[in-house]
Amino acid sequence: MQNQEGNAVDADTVTMTSVQTSEIDDWANFKDDDIMQQQSAIQSEEAGKIPFVGDKEPLSSLAVEYKSGNAILLEKIKVLITQYAALRRTRGDGNCFFRSFMFAYLEHILESQDGAEVDRITVSVEQCRKTLLSLGYAEFTFEDFFALFLEQLENVLQGSEASISHDELVHRSRDQSISDYVVMFFRFVASGEIRKRSEFYEPFIQGLTNTSVEQFCKSMVEPMGEESDHVHITALSEALGVPIRVVYLDRSSCDNGNVVVNHHDFVPSTRDLTNGNVGGSETLKPFITLLYRPGHYDILYPK
Amino acid sequence: MTSPSASSRKALSKIASNRLQKELVEWQVNPPTGFKHKVTDNLQRWVIEVNGAPGTLYAGETYQLQVDFPEHYPMEAPQVIFIPPAPLHPHIYSNGHICLDILYDSWSPAMTVSSVCISILSMLSSSTEKQRPADNDRYVKNCRNGRSPKETRWWFHDDKV
Repeated sequence: MQNQEGNAVDADTVTMTSVQTSEIDDWANFKDDDIMQQQSAIQSEEAGKIPFVGDKEPLSSLAVEYKSGNAILLEKIKVLITQYAALRRTRGDGNCFFRSFMFAYLEHILESQDGAEVDRITVSVEQCRKTLLSLGYAEFTFEDFFALFLEQLENVLQGSEASISHDELVHRSRDQSISDYVVMFFRFVASGEIRKRSEFYEPFIQGLTNTSVEQFCKSMVEPMGEESDHVHITALSEALGVPIRVVYLDRSSCDNGNVVVNHHDFVPSTRDLTNGNVGGSETLKPFITLLYRPGHYDILYPK
Repeated sequence: MTSPSASSRKALSKIASNRLQKELVEWQVNPPTGFKHKVTDNLQRWVIEVNGAPGTLYAGETYQLQVDFPEHYPMEAPQVIFIPPAPLHPHIYSNGHICLDILYDSWSPAMTVSSVCISILSMLSSSTEKQRPADNDRYVKNCRNGRSPKETRWWFHDDKV
């Protein structure tokens, strides 16, 4: 019994460590250097094909992409074309959800000049800062990332010397020294939210992977390049109070033969308030729409 | 065919330098138990003394960690190795390279030198036998050209040592 208890404690406290088997015997000539070079070649090829955030493209470019593809997908693209005008692709580097959110949010503020929304999210960001502090994060680990996001937010509002144009927003979103920092800011926000309300997120995390909430945040939310799932999206939407619509382009179909493109709205619980007026039950309409294809997120523009 | 190694590293970016100054101050105020930062004027390379924890296989032993910071720290992981002689441990190679996921794929800017040190000490403390990794000789031979452990493709097992 004692031994079992000891093991249980071990499983929780020991850091994940490991053994290297860098070269499999049969592959004795296949050196790490070669593999690493191949890997970075693949990464730079990916980088050459598409910047962190691409240019706006007409939705017809999707139809071209799947020209000789699956019939259900082609039907769904036809439906999408009736509802959406354009697409903006993001690089498939594991950060595409956060990167898409970053650009779509800042672009929305730049175009709407919605000062009330900026004030609202600034309060949420301050709340996230307090959350991280209360969870025991040292302020110096996240303050630079927070400052950089708030700076971008301020800059997309026009009328000050530091205001930026749409072209400059695109440029910054492609500049690693800004873009990655903002992505990392969102990772901090999502991680803080998940840890703060761990009892709420735990069942979802258990459904995805067999790890504790703490380990999930440490290994699947906080490191750059780790892909996002429903848990990340829910957490970011909740923490920042921003609703997000995700449109799914996959091969699922309905029995009755009608092609329906599914979407899901992530609406933060704090803002899912029924209108104060009698009979009013107006939920918040997302102004951020992302296109999900298995393993990847891009930005969609409604008509 | 040689790949670029740690010797070709660039100076710290402004953000990296600011962050490290803050980490150093924090370390001085609140150093992790069992570690001593050896003071130099080189912000980009820290040498840290590690004392094996009492009651573990490494009690009473002292080792030295060398931490090198890349230009884009903390977006990129620091390179952390033991200066030989490295502790005998199933995940530590005789050339000082350490197989620990947070030093490579699982690094995150939310981590600090201090939290990395604590993870390394925890890895030492949970060891039940003093031995080298099974592939030590082959790996060390492959590193003779001065390759950094960050250029290794590591395969992490989820075992408990």
